[in-house]
Amino acid sequence: MTALVRTEWLKMRKYNAFWWIMGITALSYPGINYIFYMVYDNLTNQPSRASQFAKMAIGNPFTFPEVWHTVAYFSSWFVFIPAVVVIMFVTNEYTFKTHRQNIIDGWSRGQFVSSKFIDVLIVSFIITILYFAVSLVTGVSNQERLIQNTWGQSKYILLFALQTFSQLSIAFLVGFLVRKAFLALGIFLFYYIVFEPIVTGVLKVYGNDMGRFMPLEISDRMTPVPGFLGKIDIVAYNKSLAAIDQHIILTIILTACIWLLCYRINAKRDLK
Amino acid sequence: MGTVLLAKNLFKSYGFVRALNDVSFDVPEGSVFGILGPNGSGKTTLLGIIMDVLRANKGEFFWFGQSGTSPSLRRKIGSLLETPNFYSYLSATDNLRITQAISGRGTKNDIDEVLKKVKLFERRWSAFKSYSLGMKQRLAIAASLLGDPKVLVLDEPTNGLDPVGIAEIRNLIVELREKGHTIIMASHLLDEVEKVCTHVAILKTGNIITTGSVDEIMMDEDVVELSAANIDALSAVAKQLSKTIFFDEKANTVQIILPKGTARLDEINRFCFNNGIVLSQLVMRKKKLEARFFELTND
Repeated sequence: MTALVRTEWLKMRKYNAFWWIMGITALSYPGINYIFYMVYDNLTNQPSRASQFAKMAIGNPFTFPEVWHTVAYFSSWFVFIPAVVVIMFVTNEYTFKTHRQNIIDGWSRGQFVSSKFIDVLIVSFIITILYFAVSLVTGVSNQERLIQNTWGQSKYILLFALQTFSQLSIAFLVGFLVRKAFLALGIFLFYYIVFEPIVTGVLKVYGNDMGRFMPLEISDRMTPVPGFLGKIDIVAYNKSLAAIDQHIILTIILTACIWLLCYRINAKRDLK
Repeated sequence: MGTVLLAKNLFKSYGFVRALNDVSFDVPEGSVFGILGPNGSGKTTLLGIIMDVLRANKGEFFWFGQSGTSPSLRRKIGSLLETPNFYSYLSATDNLRITQAISGRGTKNDIDEVLKKVKLFERRWSAFKSYSLGMKQRLAIAASLLGDPKVLVLDEPTNGLDPVGIAEIRNLIVELREKGHTIIMASHLLDEVEKVCTHVAILKTGNIITTGSVDEIMMDEDVVELSAANIDALSAVAKQLSKTIFFDEKANTVQIILPKGTARLDEINRFCFNNGIVLSQLVMRKKKLEARFFELTND
């Protein structure tokens, strides 16, 4: 295991695209949360009565413990950015034909997939650390009380990590099957940004909400809309909170199936 | 002498195309085993199967008596398959660090040593993508040499190299052979194979046409080359020795072809002398591998 991590580190440490995309992600996560914070601030920090009423009604979603949920929700919209690097990691191996060379040099086919599993794990870990830092800084800077329930909703740290890993695993699967970088990126981004949201939306209205079983939506629903937005439709919000446990199980099953499929395919196919 | 690799009845198809058809051969320890064949004859497919990147439809192979290839076994084999496969954004040194991390062959110092051996040391920190085709090939050879493995599998090792580079690789293979390494190499450069290989297998459209030691394969018949002052008289006498004779006008020589193992140079000399011909040249010629290859692979 240590040898696999070391080898993957050798591959990624001088890969400029990896650092660029991590840099973009490091800017986008605080950025998107700051934008929403500013919207909230503008809405609630006006001298008008309406503004004061809004503040009372929705509270401050950027203080502890709600901040863990709020930041997880907004940050999860941007998993497609690190997905680019995951797709590049796997398609690079096909472009350079190193998926063959790694086996020739002495890895088993299973070890090759494990090495990519480690890549996805490393990227997910970095993204989660970033989310954690943004949540912590946002929460601390919005501290309103001396005594606060800092870790009250910290379960969202794990849920965000699982969601990120699951969605990056889907990105990996696309790269693994398609093999061509630009084609894989095109397919994944189209699916992530256009196809699944439309299908999920349509099924919500016309299909008894069956869209909740779409691959990305399964894990999306582990971080439902934060409480302040949930107050728009409190029944739906409570329902979404109740469904989290079910979606945790579904996410774990789906992610396990993705990796088992990759191991199986790689064990059988010719490495051309 | 033990057997390093034994292939038994290997079959491989790509859809309707049969790439390998009942291929069997064995590679003796310490040999330089050349796999020859025209383009598309199945050489690379065969090497791909024995290195576990391709799956045979049928048949089996044994490395050192063990069925198939385990990762631990492959780590002991230095390989260059088809094209140099490296991470384009990494330098030669960084790429070899990855080879070393995966295979466990060699040390940090060995990386420098193999880069010096293939004359890439000065450019060791340049990105792989900036290399010429010949330099890429040299790096692939360096990777296969890392840790001085006892067995090497080389697919067209002189691809993209200039004449000096080709000669260097030839000398390197000879040096490794003398040190007792076993080398399995696919090539279509017959002259190269003839110079360095001890054994060959000739493939044609996925079938093994022949396999064995180079001497056995090339010496399928005895070729004796004769020369004398009166070449016309020599030709007439030679016709009495063999039904098949060739007259080379340029070289002013006559070649007589005899069944394998039947040529006796002293008897030929005596026969010519008794018939009034004094030979100025009498030599047993080895058939060129190229000629033998065309004989075997042409329909």
